[in-house]
Amino acid sequence: MAKYSEHVKIDGNAMVADGVNNGMMKAAAKDDRIIAVLEDMGFPGLGWFKENAPERVIECGIAEANGAVMAAGLAAEGFVPFIHSFAFAVVSRACNQIRQSILQDRFNVKLLGREGAWGEPGISHNHIEIIGITRVMPNLVIVDPADVVEAEKAVMAIAEYIGPVFLKIEASPPPLRIFTEDYPFDLGKAYTVKDGKDATIIACGYMLTESILAGELLEKEGIDVRIINMSTLKPLDNEAVIRAAEETGAIVTAENASIIGGLGEAVATVLSEYSPAPLIRVGIEDEFSQSGRIMPEIDELKTHFGLGAEDVALSVKECMAKRERLKKRK
Amino acid sequence: MAHDEKLISELEEKADIVRRNIFTIFDASQMGHAGGTMSLVEIVTALYFHHLKIDPKNCDWPERDRLVLSKAHCCEAIYAILVELGVLPRETLTTYYRYGSPLQGHADRWCTQGIDYSGGSLGQGLSFAAGLALAEKFKVLRQPPSQSSLMPRYITRYNPLYRSYCILGDGECHEGQVWEAAMFATKYKLDNLINIVDYNKFSLDGPTNEVMQIEPFVDKWKSFGWWVTEIDGHNLREIVDVLDLASNLYGDGKPKCIIAHTVKGHGISSWEAAHTHIGRGEDISRGVREGRAKYGEV
Repeated sequence: MAKYSEHVKIDGNAMVADGVNNGMMKAAAKDDRIIAVLEDMGFPGLGWFKENAPERVIECGIAEANGAVMAAGLAAEGFVPFIHSFAFAVVSRACNQIRQSILQDRFNVKLLGREGAWGEPGISHNHIEIIGITRVMPNLVIVDPADVVEAEKAVMAIAEYIGPVFLKIEASPPPLRIFTEDYPFDLGKAYTVKDGKDATIIACGYMLTESILAGELLEKEGIDVRIINMSTLKPLDNEAVIRAAEETGAIVTAENASIIGGLGEAVATVLSEYSPAPLIRVGIEDEFSQSGRIMPEIDELKTHFGLGAEDVALSVKECMAKRERLKKRK
Repeated sequence: MAHDEKLISELEEKADIVRRNIFTIFDASQMGHAGGTMSLVEIVTALYFHHLKIDPKNCDWPERDRLVLSKAHCCEAIYAILVELGVLPRETLTTYYRYGSPLQGHADRWCTQGIDYSGGSLGQGLSFAAGLALAEKFKVLRQPPSQSSLMPRYITRYNPLYRSYCILGDGECHEGQVWEAAMFATKYKLDNLINIVDYNKFSLDGPTNEVMQIEPFVDKWKSFGWWVTEIDGHNLREIVDVLDLASNLYGDGKPKCIIAHTVKGHGISSWEAAHTHIGRGEDISRGVREGRAKYGEV
């Protein structure tokens, strides 16, 4: 088994949403300015709110435009509203409202968007464009936690951060439980899950799971790959990208989202501006998602999109070959 | 109702001063939302110079009344007032639309003292004002533990920390979000929320009710559970009365809607005739000349 960093201990699978639940309860217990804004899609830790602070639950119904701007009004008065729904509803449905009424004045509103790149609901709910849509918005911090532990710490961190944040809650198959309880989550900082010298995989969200599995596959072939968890997509940890490019010389990005506007493009920008290195972006091509069953023996859409560990491992080898070709040409 | 005639004549005088400042803005920028700004003059004059609880020396006073100008393209009227109140320096009047000016094209809370809401994209202000009103409920009702319930089934009389005012245009009532906010305000019994609709009957493409019918307008608000009344939005006596009344109804658990019937481009014949939405060049200059002849120069 590969040698991981000290805060990594792989231990079965767990839902990201469970971590968000825990984080939400802890944050809300600590800070009574936090208000749960519901849009008829439940809320993380709702049971805790109902029991301990029912007055801090505001139900807006299926009216996301009003929900976003009303929350901005609460934030203007010093409260910390968290809005929760599907990502396509809480963010995309209210893009213009978020832009003008939240981001323009940097109001302290947190957007929790459930999103699964694949799964049964199909094209409407598998909102793979969400990272691209949000990355272009000024003043917005974007976080895509990789596992249950990081999700809990991320929610508590964004509750303390003053400013608007979009946190993606992975709704696809449960990722691996990756981090130990003392994992030091730092908003805006990448975390090196495993050091390596031959190439680097930069992953976010669920794809850190597949990247770790890809690392195990590559290790069997004698390839020592570095794996970076880039859970904060904006602002991006440029330093980590540049260091990876300089020290390993081949970069693969992995995200279960559209490769347009996503993590891959963000990393590509840093590479081409500061430290050019061959890059392969693993993600979903310019297409919509669809319905697909997630079963232990087969995950139909993961296979369809080519986002499994084997696909990531293959891309790493391809990228290393690309590096060698470029060296020869020089 | 008997009126304090001294107050009314003072407000009339202030309205003329506000108009003169607006003409200074238009004259320098040679462009502006002339129609919707002129229809608003008496309403905002009564609000700022008589009704609102504000402190021009302390725009961030936590207990000030909030004013959300949802039709933020008509910010010229607010700028004219903020200059008169000494919140903004007089020199800024000639910098509207310019780079680095506090007089942005659309009202902007981030860069202009005295502005509570950043607008431009229409239909959002009422939601924001509802958020501010809900925050007031939180701040006051949460303090005594026995009244911790946010939705008082019993109505508790207390003095609001502040009231939340919103000014909507009639055209932006085409936006679905306005009605989302209307439902929300009723649900949470936001009786500290007072919404004023500047019903000047015209939007950019033509008569508001031809572009998309909003009538029966009063019935709409009533059916959403609001307290509703209609006034002549250019009659300062009516405006002062209705604002005082709406404030005194506080405690009834209902959000308030004042539908102010106004005239687009009010006071300037060419703007009234053309229902000018946004004026440029000669259209603006001609109006400013007429206005200065009628209301005097600064």
